[in-house]
Amino acid sequence: MSIPSALDWIESTDLSTAIREGALPYPIIGGIHLFAIALFGGMVLVTDLRLLGWAMRRRKVSDIVGQLQMWKWVGFVVVVSTGLLLAWAEPIKLYRSPAFWVKMALLALVGVHALVFRARVYGNTARLDLAETTEAKLAASLSLLLWTGLIVSGRLIAYDA
Amino acid sequence: MGSVPLASFFEWLTTSPWAKAMNGPEWAFPVVQSLHFIGFAFSIGTIAIVDLRLLGWGMRRQSAAELAADLDPWTWAGFAIMLITGPLMFSADAVQYHHNPSFQFKMVCLLVALLFHFTIYRKITRSDASPFAAKFAGGLSLVLWTAVVAGGRMIAFV
Repeated sequence: MSIPSALDWIESTDLSTAIREGALPYPIIGGIHLFAIALFGGMVLVTDLRLLGWAMRRRKVSDIVGQLQMWKWVGFVVVVSTGLLLAWAEPIKLYRSPAFWVKMALLALVGVHALVFRARVYGNTARLDLAETTEAKLAASLSLLLWTGLIVSGRLIAYDA
Repeated sequence: MGSVPLASFFEWLTTSPWAKAMNGPEWAFPVVQSLHFIGFAFSIGTIAIVDLRLLGWGMRRQSAAELAADLDPWTWAGFAIMLITGPLMFSADAVQYHHNPSFQFKMVCLLVALLFHFTIYRKITRSDASPFAAKFAGGLSLVLWTAVVAGGRMIAFV
């Protein structure tokens, strides 16, 4: 199956039509997507600000990063699943949108970021309680840059074509 | 609403230099919108962390009062970003927005959310409130801020 025909097939599914053409599904799913960005983005932010030593300095790194980890996952799952639903509704438009591809590239970099820093920073906070490391600060800065880029590119999709 | 002075104020807003800047280059509006999103990740995100603690669902190693005190400057940073970017976007098309039902809904929810945040919620967060009061404050805060975001998202669709 070629890509254009796969996209045509997605758009022809009942789910895609329902989200695209119904009055309520698109704004509701979009609203949940946005609210999850507020929650999840806020937790990523607090985690990274703690790693940078800019926020919550009176608390141990392991306390803050550890307690937020589960909630960050919850937020991530909600953002990604609502994002998939929104994408399912208009795959052809997204396929032609440069901002969408920038967003997907940044998302891939978030994966790379996790592979590089997960074990040594986010999963190794007991060591960071003893001393802040340059590596942790680098991880936090890159994470903040990536998420800012994701928000901006995501917003720009609406203005493509 | 709808009185003549207010209406002419909104019309004047749309001709202001900053409204012209917002309506100028194509990228201006989405960039300011993105900053608005980042602003609420700061403010609503940090408020939600305190809410989860009040509900007893997370961050239990700190008290709600400790979390609120630690996160307060970041919540304020978010409020500041939103207070700049929100009115900027409003100015760009003030007359339209003030007739938009989603916008009106959002403003009412925002007013209630802010009033609650700086009065009852603040008091419950910073004192040794009963578990019931804490759950009430955390739950209502989450609901109110959800309504603000949802109302904001609906502006583009109504």
